[in-house]
Amino acid sequence: MKIVKKLGQAVATATLGMTIATGALAGEVTIGFTGPLSGGAALYGENTLSGLRMAADEINAAGGFDLNGEKTTINVVALDDRYSPAQAATNAKRLKQENNAPVIFVPHSGGVFALQEFNVKDDFLVMAYTSVPTVTKKGNPLTVRIPPTFDSYMDPFTSYALEHEGKKLGMAGATHEYAKIWASMIKKEWLAKGGEVVSENPMDYNKSADFFTGVSRVLAEKPDVMFVGGASEPTGLVVQQARQMGFEGGFIIMDQAKIDEVSKVAGGLDMLNGAVGVVPLSAFQDEAAQSFIKRYQEKFDRTPGSEAAYNYLALNAIVTAMDETESTDPKTIRAALGDALKSMPAMKRPYDVTDVTEDGGFVSTPDMAVVEDGKIKMVPMQ
Amino acid sequence: MNLFFQQIINGLTLGSIYGLVALGLTLVYGILHIPNFAHGALYMVGAFMSYFFMVDLGVHYWVAMAGSAAVVAILGILCERLVFHPLRNSPPIHDKIAAIGVLLFLEATIQMFWGSDFRRMSSPFTGIMNFDGLIIPEQRLLIIVGAFTLVIGLQLFLRKTMTGATIIAMAQSREGAFLVGIDSNRVAMMTFGISGALAAVAASLYAPINLVYPAMGHLVIMKAFVIIILGGMGSVPGAIVGGMIIGFAEAFGGFYISTAYKDIIAFGLLVLILSARPQGLFAKGAH
Repeated sequence: MKIVKKLGQAVATATLGMTIATGALAGEVTIGFTGPLSGGAALYGENTLSGLRMAADEINAAGGFDLNGEKTTINVVALDDRYSPAQAATNAKRLKQENNAPVIFVPHSGGVFALQEFNVKDDFLVMAYTSVPTVTKKGNPLTVRIPPTFDSYMDPFTSYALEHEGKKLGMAGATHEYAKIWASMIKKEWLAKGGEVVSENPMDYNKSADFFTGVSRVLAEKPDVMFVGGASEPTGLVVQQARQMGFEGGFIIMDQAKIDEVSKVAGGLDMLNGAVGVVPLSAFQDEAAQSFIKRYQEKFDRTPGSEAAYNYLALNAIVTAMDETESTDPKTIRAALGDALKSMPAMKRPYDVTDVTEDGGFVSTPDMAVVEDGKIKMVPMQ
Repeated sequence: MNLFFQQIINGLTLGSIYGLVALGLTLVYGILHIPNFAHGALYMVGAFMSYFFMVDLGVHYWVAMAGSAAVVAILGILCERLVFHPLRNSPPIHDKIAAIGVLLFLEATIQMFWGSDFRRMSSPFTGIMNFDGLIIPEQRLLIIVGAFTLVIGLQLFLRKTMTGATIIAMAQSREGAFLVGIDSNRVAMMTFGISGALAAVAASLYAPINLVYPAMGHLVIMKAFVIIILGGMGSVPGAIVGGMIIGFAEAFGGFYISTAYKDIIAFGLLVLILSARPQGLFAKGAH
């Protein structure tokens, strides 16, 4: 027992020492991140994190920002949660206690919900990279949702597919929670508009070794449109296999998958003719987006997606808010975020986000992308 | 009717890949009694090696496959020499922990060099054959033919050659094999080498219709363990038949019942078969 007690004391002293050490580090603000950095979703986690790292590196290279007259730099501390909400909660506690992070980025809804249980009490701002609408509907005062909610896509996506392809929908979406909510909303909208759902066969996009069986089951009912979508790359396989089996209709693509990435796996944009989905970052022609893509490519040697761009934008907004309010208090940052989004330099804003709603959602004007004749076309959503 | 034949093709494709992976696993288990959890990682390294040879060095698909088989065979032998051989007198739990260690090490190493991106590797066989509505992409046919050729080749090697016979002798009785002067080190290395090469070939056959990424091994290793338990630990025919059973269960279950339940169907089948034959379909000694 004595040994255990002594050990406990030693650990306590060591952690205390660490807390003091990090707390004493002047001129540096820690931004926390918890997301999947290993396992099947590692790529997604790395993509979101790369946007944060890029923002931090640019700010630090410019000498940091001004906080109460002191030059302050940004330190991004990333912890792996392997997509587990429980691990995300543990990580968040650590980031708050050990690194005193006022802001923590989380790129999955499960993690966000877990953090919302204690973020107000523990006093940190949750930056949620997820389009699940309930994240901001729960009224958590210290949560900011970065991308647009997916319910805004339902009406324009289904209208386009019904008008251009036909009434029969085959559902071949994924089986994770997020995809299920998406699928049920699409189905509701489709039926409400007088369409018909001919087959429903969700597939595990992350754990399936092969989609041939699942796709052939959906195609057996001869749909005009297929609903597909999980991560971009498996979605590409599903699209490719559907085309191999002679499917000639269109696709409704869930927002998790990006048309440009899907087409790379599926074998070109021609495979996606008649598809409707969210606009991939690379299709934005304005200067801010193109400049971001160029700088990102120079730094990481690959093409960025919306995960990187949105998180880049969000961290820059946070830093602008800290700069303007001379504070690292989460509540103050949250209150100043709307103004920060308006006043921050346009080059730091690859997406046109200029405000944040009362309940904490970034306001953007979402467009949708359709593929016609092997080309991505941007269509404004009404 | 076409849809029915389509599922047969799907079942054969899946069964071939599962069978090849399970075969390597069962060989190692039969001879060294090590459940090699790292086998899925060897499969993954095999896919990455083929990718590296084909995309970065620009060699032909077949050459890439042979190169990958050689590299992973050597990697398998190294694992045996550096990890499992020194642990031969330790309790069995040490082997298991070491196998998990190797798995994590290989995955992390690959992720360090190639990142966690999903990659695509295309083979020269991209055509699609259409027999009056029955669709068979060439690569899928190649998988089936390739797997059958390999299995027959392996059988001939084990049955007809002296070297192959030493492996079977070791599997049947360790002491007996020592008594007749079989070098256990050589057999152990050879087994790991063959097992690695099989995993690499399976991965190279399958990669062109799938994605290449560091966690890809997880998809097959779980199934491979189910298969060797189903077929009887250490049994070569058991691995092949077991692979086909799981492949067909997934294809037909996925089509006629639901894709969401295909794993339940496969695992349910495992429970059923094990309650009838607890030792697996082909009990040990059926080599």
